[in-house]
Amino acid sequence: MDLFTVEVLQKLLLGAAEEMGITLIRTAYSPNIKERRDASAAVFDPDGQVIAQAAHIPMHLSSMMELPRVLLDAYPRASWRPGDMFIANDPYVGAGSHLNDIAILAPVFVDGRLIGFVANTAHHADVGGRVPGSESGDSTSIFQDGVRLPVARIVSRGHVDDGLLRTILLNSRTPEERIGDLNAQLAANRAGAQRLQAICRQYGPDLLRQSMREILDYTERRTRQGIGKMPDGIFEGEGFCDDDGLSARPVRLRVAVHVRGDEIVLDFSGSDPQVPGAKNVPTVSLLATVYYVLKAVIDPDIPPNAGYYRAITVRAPSGSVLNPVPPAAVAARFTTCQKVADVILSAFARSVPERVVAHCHGGTLAIYSGVNPRNGEFFVDYEVYAGGSGARATKDGMDGIANHTTNTSNLPIEALESEFPLLVDRYELVPDSGGPGKFRGGLSIVREVRGLGRDLTVGGWGCDHRIPARGLFGGGEGVPGGFHLVGADGEVRQTVRSTVPAVSLRAGDWLRICTSGGGGFGDPLERDPALVSRDLLAGKISPPAAESIYGVVLRAGEIDIDATERLRARRRELCSASKREP
Amino acid sequence: MTYRIGVDVGGTFTDLVALEEKSGRVHLVKRPTTPHDQSEGVAEGLASLLALQGIPETAVVYLGHGTTVCINSVLERKGARTGLITTWGMRDLLELRRQIRQDLYDLQADKPEPLVPRHLRFEVPERTLFDGTVLQPLSLEDTRDAVERLVRDGISALAVFFLHSYVNPSHERAVRDLMARHYPNVYLSISSEVLPEFREFERLSTTVLNAYVGPVMERYLTRLEERVQGLNLHVRPYILQSNGGVATVSQAKERPVFTMASGPTAGVAGAVFVAQEAGYDRIITFDMGGTSTDVCLVEKGTPMVAAQKEYHGYPVKGAMLDVHSVGAGGGSRAWVDTGGFLRVGPESAGAVPGPACYGRGGSAPTVTDANVILGRLNPAYFLGGAIRLDPALAREAVEKALCRRPGLSLADAAVGVLTVVNAHMASAIRLISVERGHDPRQFTLVAYGGAGPMHAVAVARQLQIPRVLVPPSPGVLCALGVVVADVKAEFSRTWIRKTDSVGPMDAAEIFEDLETQAKEWAARGGLPVDELRLSRSADMRYVRQNHELTVSLGSRVAPGDLNRKFHRLHQRVFGHSSPAEATELVTLRLAARIPIPRPKLEIPREATARLADALKATRQVYFQETGDFVDCPVYDRSKLPTDMPIGGPAIVEQLDCTTVIEPGQRAMADRLGNLVITLGEPAGAT
Repeated sequence: MDLFTVEVLQKLLLGAAEEMGITLIRTAYSPNIKERRDASAAVFDPDGQVIAQAAHIPMHLSSMMELPRVLLDAYPRASWRPGDMFIANDPYVGAGSHLNDIAILAPVFVDGRLIGFVANTAHHADVGGRVPGSESGDSTSIFQDGVRLPVARIVSRGHVDDGLLRTILLNSRTPEERIGDLNAQLAANRAGAQRLQAICRQYGPDLLRQSMREILDYTERRTRQGIGKMPDGIFEGEGFCDDDGLSARPVRLRVAVHVRGDEIVLDFSGSDPQVPGAKNVPTVSLLATVYYVLKAVIDPDIPPNAGYYRAITVRAPSGSVLNPVPPAAVAARFTTCQKVADVILSAFARSVPERVVAHCHGGTLAIYSGVNPRNGEFFVDYEVYAGGSGARATKDGMDGIANHTTNTSNLPIEALESEFPLLVDRYELVPDSGGPGKFRGGLSIVREVRGLGRDLTVGGWGCDHRIPARGLFGGGEGVPGGFHLVGADGEVRQTVRSTVPAVSLRAGDWLRICTSGGGGFGDPLERDPALVSRDLLAGKISPPAAESIYGVVLRAGEIDIDATERLRARRRELCSASKREP
Repeated sequence: MTYRIGVDVGGTFTDLVALEEKSGRVHLVKRPTTPHDQSEGVAEGLASLLALQGIPETAVVYLGHGTTVCINSVLERKGARTGLITTWGMRDLLELRRQIRQDLYDLQADKPEPLVPRHLRFEVPERTLFDGTVLQPLSLEDTRDAVERLVRDGISALAVFFLHSYVNPSHERAVRDLMARHYPNVYLSISSEVLPEFREFERLSTTVLNAYVGPVMERYLTRLEERVQGLNLHVRPYILQSNGGVATVSQAKERPVFTMASGPTAGVAGAVFVAQEAGYDRIITFDMGGTSTDVCLVEKGTPMVAAQKEYHGYPVKGAMLDVHSVGAGGGSRAWVDTGGFLRVGPESAGAVPGPACYGRGGSAPTVTDANVILGRLNPAYFLGGAIRLDPALAREAVEKALCRRPGLSLADAAVGVLTVVNAHMASAIRLISVERGHDPRQFTLVAYGGAGPMHAVAVARQLQIPRVLVPPSPGVLCALGVVVADVKAEFSRTWIRKTDSVGPMDAAEIFEDLETQAKEWAARGGLPVDELRLSRSADMRYVRQNHELTVSLGSRVAPGDLNRKFHRLHQRVFGHSSPAEATELVTLRLAARIPIPRPKLEIPREATARLADALKATRQVYFQETGDFVDCPVYDRSKLPTDMPIGGPAIVEQLDCTTVIEPGQRAMADRLGNLVITLGEPAGAT
């Protein structure tokens, strides 16, 4: 067979996945999907292997890889018919990464022959459960997380199962939004199926089938080539999540990365047992995190399909926080995943330091709810705030940016204030919040919000609020964030970190949310004084920090080079004993 | 006799056409572009065009100009030292952007550097709410202090951005008045004047970019006007904007940010005109150059419009032609990746060292090298012979870099390069057609740019586009685009309301206000206000959606009518609609246009009577359909007889491009010198 045709088909199949993703994002109702792009679409071969995926955020890499198997387990092959679609969200059957992610899968036929599958998954803002948003870190069982959907036929020969649909809607606090999003998901699958059928008709089913195999082999070859170029060895990483969702007990995460030849094994033994709160990570999410980090470290350009997965083995002991058994709650698995990414990168820092970043701010979520005095309706506003990314071997971390497995855009203040009774007073970078280093960690942000009119409720969580983002090779920690309730008098009444159960935001009070700074890279005393002076001019670090942290002496606003050299030499002598490992 | 002159400044050449109004005859002059000051090349070109054609200065009645000054100053980061005055608490908005990273997996990537550094961004106490209520009045004293410090720090441009100024611009206007009184020499860009629409980051970015390029564009246009006057021409130049229309010099100085895509727009405008003259008004433009390819879909003579574009990482909001760009062209490098697949681009050999066959030290094979190997490009007649191509170097480069698969012949590898690059092109066109609800089978592909006509038929074949039109010359096309464009501007205001709650007269006041703005704009530019044609539209969405579609409006705003139009549009664009759902109005828009009379078009050629007289040579050319090199006739474009069919395979050569016609296809030169290729079933296809 002609290999160039395979290349063209690879592009076409990816195009089909992308078209589904675009359809989904553009037609969806909820900001979660439209603005946060918390959705993904994929095309599979007839064996159920992922061939092409449009993952708009890495958290969705592989999130659908098990769907065809899940379908086969529940419905015999002979019962699938053209025009059928199946819906699922239960992490414990492998259908998704938490209940909010609802996936819809469609087998695709041409002339009665199964030519593959298309599927998409989207984060639904509320799927029932204990709390609005269905994502509370302090849930203790998956039954508190929301409605569980095993795999179920939602469309039969083109006809939507009304009973099932209404059951799902009844279990959500925001059914109008759900129906809009589900319709968008169905439309996306229809578009994807049509594209796959058109491709099949143009190239023929046999050529398509054979090309799909070639595409997977190709990806596997590339992945293995990339791994083969990395140093062999066993590299370990360790880190801690702020808490387990219920108490302030830190959660230990450990990985040993075994690189041997063209294979990688990640062994998470030594990580803590599963936790009582909702911060457990189901397998699908652990794999997504691993695939994200490896793609970034091995080759950002590798297509994320089943061929890529072949060269990677992941082990996590059953019953651990990274492989929980039912009925452990998993709704807030995201914060744990972000730290898993940091931990794997720390391990790789020992073998390929030029390709990694120091620990990053994992993200901060705030959910505002209450009655909108403008129309008397109950509202929920769901916002994710960015923070600092970790510094790198040759440059600073990025300031105020979404990190790792997510890439959530902010909700424009003007859109937010037009829709909700909220007022944003401040949205700025926090000086001195980046971990010091030869290269500085990214700065965190501060967001100050006031409720207008009536009392509101605020919940959410933040990463790295108790245990700061670590630096690498002598780089310092980022400044941890927190939620601060401020009275009208300007006094802080209450500070909550990490997991924020519903707190009341009284009319006239303020909420000051600080995210966390990223870790630094290398010894701060080695930082180029010109970079220190650039940060000073920009107000990203303060004059006292320039001297106390970076050993840079200023005279009338200018760097005194000699005094700086002397001060740095003195400092080095003092702390030469306590040089840290990454 | 009277003439209209169009000037398009490209990266390498400045193209000028003079169009004689009565006969429609077109004359072309090509001059090297003068990058240090584009107006120098423009003036030289004008002088020689007038001299060569014996055109008296007084006979020139119109001068249109497409320029890359704006986009270059952003690319090279040579814009003005710019300051920002903004709402208290919002100093870092410009830097925080939408908080997302551009590349999900590249851990070494960075955000684009903000165009205003942090120490030149000042916040002042003031706050307006979403409904226009002032929560905190503007502190003029703090504003004056901030401006003084910025001026001391050497700014020559100032951007002013306050939250919700699209509803209530009074605070921004107060700053404007203060600047006019105290610092009239600082270039001023006010968000509520540049783009009175909600969503702060995009408005801020557009306003800042406008300030950043403002002084550069002001100086350039002043010089241009002086040079034009120096030539004794009594016309004032019109500048092509990204929206496909022109504006006067003074208007372009006010909102230079909207000329950012002047370059690619010229080609589209020219293609639309030429294709319409030839009888085709549904076209897809295909402009394939050395490093990138631009495509744009044109429905019934109207190019599709995008609401937002990013230039080198900086978003600009505002209606502009939806020209989609892909990073692949004739100079794109071909390479084998670690998995063994052949890849083309995104790296390009550029002009230096250029493709391997240029013999300037480039050793990586490019698309151009593949074309040379397959006999499609004539090594002795590239750019009319200006550059001699060396096929041996092309072969060596392809052999070394690509022929590592066992049994892969040189021709196979070269065909592979074309297959892959054509797939890139096809997916770009698919994105702007199929994925937006347009069927490419109903369109004509209009191919131009140095490499467009060489790849057009293969790309068209993949998408089942039935027809390819190759305009007479890429240079003529872009310069023509500037001559035939109407004067255009858009005025908008965000105005969020549930559609059903809007009474017939509610929006009238806003539209009246926008109309006044349009008239004032025309008057400031010295344009005939009574010739203004105004059309209204509104951005709408379902309540809770965060994504709008633009619906055109009549003179009255009736909710039932609006809803019907919106549901229908939603159905067409997204494949479904929910007629039971409530909708809302988001932004009201008024498009203002002053039509330029459509000129006739007559492009002089030395057409011969018989096809045989246009035959230059016969050479061996490889076609995938034949699976081998075959004898292929090569024709001289300028001599092709009018309306006489040419059967493929055939190559048609001209100074600035080469057209490939595949076996089984038929081509014909029309009266204007367009080459129209009809795609049949390729020979040997099953």
